[in-house]
Amino acid sequence: MAQIAGTDRGAATVAKGADRVPGPPGARETRRLKKELGQESGLVHRRWWTPYLFLLPGLVLVVLFSLWPFINTVILSLTDAQILRGGGFVGLDNYVRALGDDTFWLALVNSVVYTVVVVPCLVFLPLALAVLVQKKIPGIGFFRSAFYTPVIASAVVVGLMWQWILRSDGLVNTVFEKLRLVSEPVPFLTDSTMLLVSAMIVTVWKGLGYYMVFYLAALGNVPTSLYEAAAIDGAGPVRRFFSITVPTVKPMMLLVGTLSAISALRVFTEIYILGGESGGPGGDSRTLPFLIRQVGLGFAGETGYAAAISILLFLLTLVFSVLGHRLSKGDES
Amino acid sequence: MSRGRLSRISIATAMAATLLSTAACGVGGSGNDNDAKQPEKSGKVSGEISFRTLQLKPTFTTYVQGVIDAFQKKYPDVKVKWEDVPGDGYNEKLVADAQAGALPDVVNLNTDSFQLLADRGMLADVAKLDPAVQKDYVPGAWDQYKLPGKEGVFAYPWYVTPEILTYNKDLFAKSGLDINKPPTTVEQFFDYAEKITEKSGGKYAAFMADPKSRLPGDWQKMGVPVLNEKKDAFSFNTPKAVEWVERMKELYAKGAMPKESLTKSDDTSQLYGADKLVFGPGSPGFIRDVKANAPKVYAKTQVQKAVTGVLGHIGIYTQSLGVRKDTKSPDAAAEFAKWVTNGPNQVAFSKEVAIYPSNAKGLADPYFSDKGDGKDPETLARALGAEELKEAQLDANTPVEWTSQIGDAVVREMQKAVKGEVDAKTALAKAQEEANKILAQQAKQKK
Repeated sequence: MAQIAGTDRGAATVAKGADRVPGPPGARETRRLKKELGQESGLVHRRWWTPYLFLLPGLVLVVLFSLWPFINTVILSLTDAQILRGGGFVGLDNYVRALGDDTFWLALVNSVVYTVVVVPCLVFLPLALAVLVQKKIPGIGFFRSAFYTPVIASAVVVGLMWQWILRSDGLVNTVFEKLRLVSEPVPFLTDSTMLLVSAMIVTVWKGLGYYMVFYLAALGNVPTSLYEAAAIDGAGPVRRFFSITVPTVKPMMLLVGTLSAISALRVFTEIYILGGESGGPGGDSRTLPFLIRQVGLGFAGETGYAAAISILLFLLTLVFSVLGHRLSKGDES
Repeated sequence: MSRGRLSRISIATAMAATLLSTAACGVGGSGNDNDAKQPEKSGKVSGEISFRTLQLKPTFTTYVQGVIDAFQKKYPDVKVKWEDVPGDGYNEKLVADAQAGALPDVVNLNTDSFQLLADRGMLADVAKLDPAVQKDYVPGAWDQYKLPGKEGVFAYPWYVTPEILTYNKDLFAKSGLDINKPPTTVEQFFDYAEKITEKSGGKYAAFMADPKSRLPGDWQKMGVPVLNEKKDAFSFNTPKAVEWVERMKELYAKGAMPKESLTKSDDTSQLYGADKLVFGPGSPGFIRDVKANAPKVYAKTQVQKAVTGVLGHIGIYTQSLGVRKDTKSPDAAAEFAKWVTNGPNQVAFSKEVAIYPSNAKGLADPYFSDKGDGKDPETLARALGAEELKEAQLDANTPVEWTSQIGDAVVREMQKAVKGEVDAKTALAKAQEEANKILAQQAKQKK
């Protein structure tokens, strides 16, 4: 109540209201009070569109660069549009075609497997890393920065570096051969399954530092008294980690899970740089974004069909987002 | 319902309607084939024209600006507005501009972008703009800008980069091969690669596997009919093509090609420069890279004419200058495109970088026939490339029907076959089936 008692008259009115009805004022009362205050001070304008005016710049950007392209994609997905050739309405033909296309299913499975493997790694490994670098020991700042370096490195540079590490005559294979661990080079980049695994390693490596920063922020909010109390009660470091750290950063874990799932579903660069334009030998390592690019780009690009696959990818992303949301709701309740 | 609520609903409805209508523009607004009429020349060379080049700044700024200045001096009523766009995203920008009706008056096109814009009726017929100009260009180059099923020629040929053969003399000789007897057929090329691999001991490879850069050229050189006679279906599934796949598979397994080159070939110069590859880059431009980055390997480089097999000549791939069909200044645009691609200007450009003129008079310049002492790879490459270009013919070019989508589909099957995951016959049958499926779909969408 104090926050609306900005003037003497307002304060008096509140006091009067409080005498009559104990407890907080009802909605009608609040409206009346605000109205009086507004008239009195002349500061509060109640034109309904005032807040929209403030939102307008942001809204325009969202509508132009997010909403409009999205709606356009939905419409395109119902046409047989091509590059520089407006299409005619074909209903759900593109969706039917996608569902009957083996390549679509291959890309879908690759995307889902990619997400299922990458997400747990990106939820737990950065947490472990954050717990490590959170300790206040000399020189820890260097490690914090070092772990964050892959995040700011360009995806192309990262891809090229890993290509040199993983190729048949690259660093890893040379070491393996020198140690006589393998007789033939491991086909990290020339076998479709191994290529996906290699791309996953790169994604996880690049994401570690990024999500570590999220966890560092969350860990900063855990009261040290909890750890001290647990230590007095005889809890060891492992027990303290699972009984205090994990429950307190759980909301952050769900956020990281959702964010990393969305970015894993959108993976393209790692596969493109490691596996070439075809998406690995025979194109067997293609993910959904890779397929969308292949189908929609180029001068013979089928924009309509690519838009339909984009919408299907969007629905898949939505599933993972809703899942994350549900989990966090369940956690709150 | 309150008045405020009503106005909110009406504003939201208006916004949604605007949004939907503009969104729909993205679909239908791009329109079908451009119905602009062929421009008519007025006889007066004047006006402001825009000119777009592909990645020529800053290396060639002085040259291009010089050409523009000289043109403006000759035609003082013309103002040329030059814009250079980097290679990355060039095609995407072109498509976006074409979609928005904002194509430049004179625009630098490669084979792919030319085909798209000409097919969509966005380029002027330059043969109609200037019927006498044809004789100025090498025949193969001029014919490259005709489109099947369409009357006319839709761009002025500009500079060319021919295919040549380069190899490391020392590694070649080490394999027991005569450095002066280069392979002339694809089959012979494979035999040489086999001999090289036998002697390499795994230290170096013979050539890059990447089927994307080898096809359909290798098949054409082996006499494989890529398309049927009516040119309405692919017909490359032949015993000769099976032989190609089998040989590639065998050589790949033996280590004749770097394993990763099956999916990527972007480090050819790097591997060649590091003595890890016997057959080097097949373009004169790359020889300059080797000279700059690996002088020791450059000294060991032998240059020969490209493998042409049963065709006996190379194909011709030129950059070109297209004139926007609905340009407001057709006289100035056509005159300028002709000016940039004329003999003296193309020769001057070729002296700056390892490219060749598509202009017949330009190509006849003594600069291109000078072999020097026959020992410097760069000079030799220039002379051999020019000789090849005089006989270049379109039948060695990738057919227009072999679009990137079709090429990708075929390459994917070939990669599996070369790796030994699928047998050659099955892979070829599937590749042909896929290619014909895409071709039929593209034909259906064109109607």
